[in-house]
This record gives sequence, structure tokens and C-alpha cells, in this order.
Amino acid sequence: MAHDVANPESAWYGGKSPFNVSYGKLMMWYFLLSDVFTFSALLISYGAIRMSAPEWAEPDVVFSAMPFLGEGYPLIFVTIMTFILILSSVFVVRAVQEGHRMNKKGVMLWMFMGILGGVAFLGCQAWEWSHLISGLSHGHGMTISEIDFGKGTENYPMAFAYLFFLITGFHGFHVFSGVCINIWAFFETANGTFERRGHYEMIEKIGLYWHFVDLVWVFVFLAFYLL
Amino acid sequence: MGHHLTDEQYKSQVSAVWRATWIMAVLTVVEVAAALMWPEDMSRGLLNLGFVLMSIAKAYFIVGEFMHVRYEKRALTLTILGPLFFLIWFIIAFMWEGYEWLALRELWGM
Repeated sequence: MAHDVANPESAWYGGKSPFNVSYGKLMMWYFLLSDVFTFSALLISYGAIRMSAPEWAEPDVVFSAMPFLGEGYPLIFVTIMTFILILSSVFVVRAVQEGHRMNKKGVMLWMFMGILGGVAFLGCQAWEWSHLISGLSHGHGMTISEIDFGKGTENYPMAFAYLFFLITGFHGFHVFSGVCINIWAFFETANGTFERRGHYEMIEKIGLYWHFVDLVWVFVFLAFYLL
Repeated sequence: MGHHLTDEQYKSQVSAVWRATWIMAVLTVVEVAAALMWPEDMSRGLLNLGFVLMSIAKAYFIVGEFMHVRYEKRALTLTILGPLFFLIWFIIAFMWEGYEWLALRELWGM
């Protein structure tokens, strides 16, 4: 338009970044936005099916186990998992901040902590799943085709079990891929790739993905364990 | 990009992140405590509203502080958050639909 031609100083004239972020970071944001809708579709279908069911599973009955301690600790283990994931996210924020200061050792330290947090979360989830699946043999567990938590749980709908494994599994897959990407970034940092490049923007982009995984967990936690 | 920070900016950003962490940790503890100790005879709807609000507060800290959106340009924030308004329709429509399925089930005794 004539208006734009007349005003080459305009932010949208070209040669500038109107959003003040690089192309890569902007595209990471748009990818995350699309992933928001994927997870929303899963969680909202969970909500719709739940609304349509006359009875639903009680979270403090289903999620009451602790490693080494047995049953009787409702929601405690999953709260620990939540803390682990939040902390892991914070560690990666620290890595990004150290990256702004071009502090290679700091980036490596905090990325390493973030990776440990991610691995710990995955370990917890593996324990939770295997405990639920193997628990079926002694009347306190579920798979995608069977639910049994003892007396009073006969009418728990199957949809609860398969949506649980589908949605936490899809989230766990995101955590797993995030851990892989974080490990790659850790070694690239160690090799000095970002230092030679003159900036640690890659850590920021990867960090955005990692925080998104934490963000999704907030709503998975809300849907499955709280509401 | 490598916007190099002054020591002061760095310190204030680090402390802002840890503050957000504490707030989120406290919110999570409050949520779990409320889930376990809520009296049977009190309204579940009120509790659920509290859960949703606390989750949105946590989401605010993750997106705003950790993902740095609070410090981005307004136009970028709007392109990211704007499309989320579709979710309002999405949630209302499907909860309504689920509720109708339940009514149909009861009507036909399924």
C-alpha cells in the first residue's frame, strides 16, 4: 500500500523484527500454540465424557499409593511429581538467564539440573503407571480395559482409565522428547557451539518447550487429580 | 538474542523467578490440602472454582515469568494469547454437550 511505501521506517516495512524476537523463537511460539489446542482437545473431551457419566472415579481412591510406603497417601505422590516438574522448569529458566550473561558453566549446571528433574519426573510416572497396572492383580489398579479399586468402585467408567493413560501418556511423551532435546542442548553447550555463535538463543527456544510441558501438567493435574 | 544484562537486571530477574516458584509451590500445596480436607457437606462447585482459579494463576506465572511473555512486545503477546479465546467456546460447548448426553442417558435409562 502507498502508505507503507511512503514510510520505510514502519515496523512492518521489512528488514526488522516487529515482535522483537527471532524467526525461530516466533515459530516455537506458534508450534506451542498448536500444541495447546491438541492438549485442550484431549482435556476437553475428557471433560465432556466425564459430564456425560453418572459416576466418575474418585482421585483420592485411585491415586493413593506411595513408593515403599504402600496405599493410604492420597495425592501425595502426584504432588511430589508436580514439584519436581516445576523445579525442573525453574532450573531451565536459570539456564536461560545464565545464557544471557554468556556464562557457559552456569548454563551447563542448570541444564543438567533441569535434565535431572525431567528424568526424575519420568521415573515417577513410570512407577505410577506400573503400580496401577500391576495393582490390578490384587484389586487396586487399572489398565485400559479394566478398573478395580475394591468395594464401591464397581461403577467407575472405563473412559476414566483409558483417558488417564492416553493423556498422561501423551504428556509423558512430551516430557521424554523434552529431556532428549535438553540433553542435546547440554552437550552442544559443553562443545561451545552457542558460545561461538555469540548467543544462547537455542537454550531459550528449548526452554519455551520445556516450560510448556510444565504448563500442560498444571491442567492435567487439575483435570485428573483435583476436579 | 544476546541482550547482555547489567548485574542489577540479572539479580532482579533471578529473584522474580524464585518468587514465582514459591507462589506456585504454595498454590499447589493449598490445592492438595483443599482436595483432601474439604468437608463433605460443603459445595463441591465452590471448591472446583477455586481449583480452576488457582490453576490459571499457576499458568500465569509459567507463561508470564518462565516463558518471559510479561517482558515481550504487546503485539507478540496478543498473537499468542488471542487465539486462546476460542477455548472459552470450546469448553462451554463441550461441557454443555456432555451434560446433554447425561440427560439423554437418564431419559432412555442407559
